Amino acid sequence: MASKYIIIGGSAGSFQTILQILNNIPKDYKHPILLCLHRLKHVRGGFVEALSIKSKIKVIEPEDKSLITASKVYLAPANYHMYLEVTNTIALSTEEPVNHSRPSIDITFASAAYAFQDKVVGIILSGANKDGAAGLKEIKHYGGTVIVQDPKEASVPVMPNAALTEVENPDHIYNTEQIIEFLNSINY
Amino acid sequence: MTLNQNDIYNFIKAIKDNSEYDFSQYAPKSFYRRVEKLLEDFEIDIYDLIDKINDGDAKFIQKIVNHLTVNTTELFRDPKVWHAIRYRIIPKLRKNDTINIWHPGCSSGQEVYSMLILLNEEGLLDRTNIYGTDINTEMLDKATRGEYSYRLNVEYFQNFDEVIRKNPHNYEEYHNVPYTKYFDIDPVNDLIKVKPFLKEKAKFAKHDITKLNNPFGKKFDMIVCRNVLIYFNRNLQSNVINFFYDHLEFPGYLILGYHESIIGPESYKFHKHGYYYAKKLV
Repeated sequence: MASKYIIIGGSAGSFQTILQILNNIPKDYKHPILLCLHRLKHVRGGFVEALSIKSKIKVIEPEDKSLITASKVYLAPANYHMYLEVTNTIALSTEEPVNHSRPSIDITFASAAYAFQDKVVGIILSGANKDGAAGLKEIKHYGGTVIVQDPKEASVPVMPNAALTEVENPDHIYNTEQIIEFLNSINY
Repeated sequence: MTLNQNDIYNFIKAIKDNSEYDFSQYAPKSFYRRVEKLLEDFEIDIYDLIDKINDGDAKFIQKIVNHLTVNTTELFRDPKVWHAIRYRIIPKLRKNDTINIWHPGCSSGQEVYSMLILLNEEGLLDRTNIYGTDINTEMLDKATRGEYSYRLNVEYFQNFDEVIRKNPHNYEEYHNVPYTKYFDIDPVNDLIKVKPFLKEKAKFAKHDITKLNNPFGKKFDMIVCRNVLIYFNRNLQSNVINFFYDHLEFPGYLILGYHESIIGPESYKFHKHGYYYAKKLV
């Protein structure tokens, strides 16, 4: 079991922020990072490679029932929902899209909240819909930490704004630099 | 309302007590969501639902079971996997007198028809026996009818092009196979209909893979079971993989979903070759 689970959700306009975060997290980061990003339905390849160029930590698209370990970035595969299970494993599913999204950020957030409770750090970035908002509420409900990208900084602020409407008292509203600073401050 | 573990347990127990179905070894998170969705769609609460299941009406229970299954499938899903089947596996089966293929968890049958199209292009259709099974009776009816929404599937003709028309190993090769060779396409009525000569080859039947029995009385050269095992827990996954091993010929090939892999002790029973597994003699 990891001591924290960093779960990042993003959609339109989040890619550069993700690259910047991964570029500034050390290789031996003490926690697993799980990315749930919306992407084009039929673009399967290339995403891991694109992230890997900047990331110091190894980026993988997990297989079903993969064990979650520290110092790894897990990217939800295109066209699959990514659940986290109490057994510290990833479970994939091809159920219908939720709010037009597969992977659904809400599913990943909510399952993480239930499985790992206060160990979860949920971060929502730029995006053009409201996916992730309900999931963040679950994270908050189970005692996890909620971070919303500052809508002023987000290229598409709809998703951060939706999160701020849904979660009454998020722990932090941060810009990219502050998110990086925060993630490094809990690297123990 | 939020469901708790006890509700899920009672729901699974009610189904088990009143039917042949047992969901106790399904992956917990996605199963939980399926039940939530079921309650939403049926506009019923879990206690009333459990009561109704306990009335023991087989038709109603089957309806519930149909609703619990996930039916995402498409024509030639993941063309790279189909390239592996076409250029790596089929050459090895070409000398067989008969080729037996099983698609457990076939849903609406689109992969069964994809396989039949591929085998026809390779001139092997006459020698092939192909079976598709599922627990969802509505999907099996749909598979037997071989009729799909045009609107929802039109983009998958790109996959058809990748697999049937092009050759990834030779970019100059292009087979101008018309879609109408295999389908009657009727956009006005939003229908893609599989041609009768393919439908006659496909045999669809209700079967629950978690029961670990082989209803066909023969071994298979290829088992295609994609994005089915992800709904099972680790223990049931192992059991099903071992069952597949026992019911594959040698040589025999197993094709799983793009993000499914054989882990644990069963992995020693198969060689992994990119997108497919080959049975080892152990």
